[in-house]
Parts: sequence; structure tokens; C-alpha cells
Amino acid sequence: MPKEIERYRKPTRLLHWVHSGAFVLLFLTGLVLFIPQLGFLAQDSVTRVIHRVAAVIFVILPLIYLFANWKVSCKSLKEAFTWEADDIDWLKAAPRYYYLGDEKSMPPQGHMNTGQKMWWFMVIVFGVIFIITGFIMWFLKTVAPAALLQWTTLVHDIAFIVTGAMLFVHIYLGVIHPLMTEAWGSMARGKVSAEYAKSHHAKWYDEVTRGKEVKS
Amino acid sequence: MAEKAILYDATRCTACRGCQAACKQWNENDEVIPTVENGVPSVNRGSYENPPDLSPQTWLKMEFREIAPGGKVRWLFTRRACMHCTDAGCIKVCPNGSLYRHESGFVAYNKDTCTGCGYCIDACPFDVPRSERNIIAGIAKMDKCTFCTTAGLDRIAEGYEPACVKTCPPDALQYGDHSALVAEGKKRVAALQTKGWTNATLYGENELGGLHVMYVLDDHPAVYGLPVDPRVSAATIAWQDVIQPLGWAIGGVTILGLGFNWLVARANVNKEKEKANAERN
Repeated sequence: MPKEIERYRKPTRLLHWVHSGAFVLLFLTGLVLFIPQLGFLAQDSVTRVIHRVAAVIFVILPLIYLFANWKVSCKSLKEAFTWEADDIDWLKAAPRYYYLGDEKSMPPQGHMNTGQKMWWFMVIVFGVIFIITGFIMWFLKTVAPAALLQWTTLVHDIAFIVTGAMLFVHIYLGVIHPLMTEAWGSMARGKVSAEYAKSHHAKWYDEVTRGKEVKS
Repeated sequence: MAEKAILYDATRCTACRGCQAACKQWNENDEVIPTVENGVPSVNRGSYENPPDLSPQTWLKMEFREIAPGGKVRWLFTRRACMHCTDAGCIKVCPNGSLYRHESGFVAYNKDTCTGCGYCIDACPFDVPRSERNIIAGIAKMDKCTFCTTAGLDRIAEGYEPACVKTCPPDALQYGDHSALVAEGKKRVAALQTKGWTNATLYGENELGGLHVMYVLDDHPAVYGLPVDPRVSAATIAWQDVIQPLGWAIGGVTILGLGFNWLVARANVNKEKEKANAERN
């Protein structure tokens, strides 16, 4: 049995890092408009141009990945919208686990646990909302009715607030939480120890060791 | 400093458009004259109104309207420019304070710091701000009437009246203290009403907390193409007064919650470690 198991292939890790880099850029250049004291950075549209460059990467990259990794992407997209009784049990047991380290009532998890699935679901849904509202504000600015543009901005901002807050949670669980010892390594190097896989993703570990898994 | 205002009396206006020309001349907003030599074809739009709309170079424009109540044709003139609202939607949405309230009450802006987001264009109840926009790059700068406080060309600071008021031959435009002009406007409306103009009204006294450009009209504001009950839009209020404070609260609670989780989880992990060490010894 191998000591380490591959969790994310290189293209997936590349997508993650470039896409999240674009998101952080979009987040920061958007945040500038909420802090009047930082507004000078947006002067002469500087941050707004950066926002647009990052937006292009944010939109194009997942599309390239989608078509280059069609099978994996379809499986993964399907997973985000498949919710079972186990997920409810996981949510019930999660607070005791994340605060007290009590694993007893945590149901065994697949490649993605319920929390990761929630984040993934959110990335897809809000990603689409961002792209649609962003497209309207960018290309229809001079032709769309003012009221539509105003509501579009509002929706874009709600998506910004929700995903921004959840980004903190994502980073926290990835690199800071005391029990998520190998989450960082799984996305940085692509591998986790067999031990970690067994305790955190038992169902997936079984699939891997029985040679049935589809790599993502 | 006392609040200042402009009073426009539509019943005195002859639509000479001297104000339009004076505004351009003083604020250095050149207009392209349609001639064969400069390659701009002139267009007949069936009206003496010209240019067709406000623009980054046209901050003030006279609108002409023809109506025929009871078969009798009337030619109405409306001054179209920034109304300098007290509750200004544009100031509310401007992300970095480029648009601000001038000490004399009207809506001034710092063009240098303008980010070009264009939120003010969508938020204005009077559809006044304009910008030239590079659609692909998103680069833009907003322009509108500055109440003659344009940087380096500030007439108000020098104690002069705005250029449009200065030039107005029939005194249809007046400049002065806001309260004095409200009184003057009411006096003229009362005079109009005694002459039989029963719908005569002073527009801008109460609209949006009081406009700093008020109109003496001999008829209902709608007849002159003015919004009857202008308001800062629901989207502006929802966005600025609800969503943004909520966003800060959500962000703050999230970070505090994560910090709390970290303290509890770390304490437990350390306890487990100590227990394991104790058992080993």
C-alpha cells in the first residue's frame, strides 16, 4: 500500500491556484470601492482595469479546464448537486468535530466532504452569478436601463460579500485549522498520507485502494 | 456659509441659449461645430434644440417643448442641468467621495479622483451625469455642471455668480441665498396664480430635500418634462444603507467566529497531545 495518495492532479491544482489568484485580485480590486480611504487606488480606473483583466482569467480558465477534462468535470459538477442523508448527518456532527475534535459521529466521506461540497456548490453558483452580472455591468453599461444596472451592481455585491466571507472560511480550513493538517499539502503538492485519507475521506480511501476511483 | 441656489423662471426665459454658450465658454467645454471642413455633418432634428443631449462637454442645455392644450400651441422651455439635490443619489453611491457636498450646498466633484465606475450616472433621478467610456477597458470620467466651481475656474469662490446666470438677458436665471430665492420664487408663483395660472408651482423647494436649482413654472412640472416626485432609487438605498453595512457585519462576524474556533480547537488539540504524552510516560 502506498504511503501517500494522489488527491489532486496537476491540471486541477493549476486551475485552483490560477483561478483563486484571479479571485483574490477581483476581491481586492472590488474591495477598494467599499473603503473610501482606499478609493485613490481606483482613481483613473486603475483597479477597474485590473479587475477586468482578472475577470477574463476568472471566466476563461475554468472553461479551458472543463473542455480539457470533460469527464472529471462532469463527475465533479454532478457531485456538487448531489445531496444525501449522510450530508445532513455530517452537518449535525461537524460543530463537535471542528471545535472539539470529536470524530465519533462524523459519517465517512467521499473525495469531497459535505463542507467541501458546500464550498464547491457555492463557487459554481456564485461564479455564474458573478459572470452574468459582471458581463452586464461591463458590456451593457451604456445601453442597459439605469435601474437594471443598479440592481445588477447590488447582486454582484451580495455575491461579493457571501463569497468573500466564505473565502476566509476556506483559507482558514485549508491552512489554519489545527485538525486540517494535510489540506494545504493536498492542493500544494497534490498528495495526502494514507492515514489522513483514511480518517478524513474514508469512502474515497476505500475507492482508491480498491482501484475504482476516477481521478480529479 | 449660507446655502446658495439658482432660480430659473421658465415664464421669463426666451430660450436664447446664452446660458448654454456661457457655460461652455467659461468651463472650456468646446463644441464641435458641424461644418464640411471638420467633417461633422449637420443634422436637422426638427427642433431649435441643439445639441440633442447633455454630454461630457455639454453641462447645460435648453429643452424645447411644444404642447397644444385646448388647441392653443405653447412653446415651453426647460433648463436641463444638474439640479444640485440636497439628498443627492450621486453623492450616496460615489465609492470614494469624488462627488461631495460643497459648503454652499450644491453637488461638486473632484474629477481627478473620479474612478469612472459610473454609479452616479445610474443613480441620478434627473439623468444628468455623463461620461465618455472606453467600453473594453472600462476607463471613464464623469462630468456634469459644477455650479461654476470647476478647478481653476471657480467663480463662486471669487464671489461671482455662475456663468449662466451672469449672461441671462431676461433675468430668467437668478443666483443668491437659497432661502431668499425660495421666497422670491414663491412670490412669483403667487403672482402667476393671481393672473390665472392655477397650476403654477415652485419646483425644487422640497424635492429631494430641496434642490439648489429651483424652477418657477406656470404649469404642472410634468408638462415641462420634469419628474413629478423624484426620489433616490430603492436600489441605491438597499445597496448603500442595507447591503454594505450588512457586508461589513458578515465579514466581521466570520473573522471573529473563525478566531474563536481556532482558540477552542487548538486548546483541545493540545489537551489531546498532553493526554497522549501522559499515557506514554
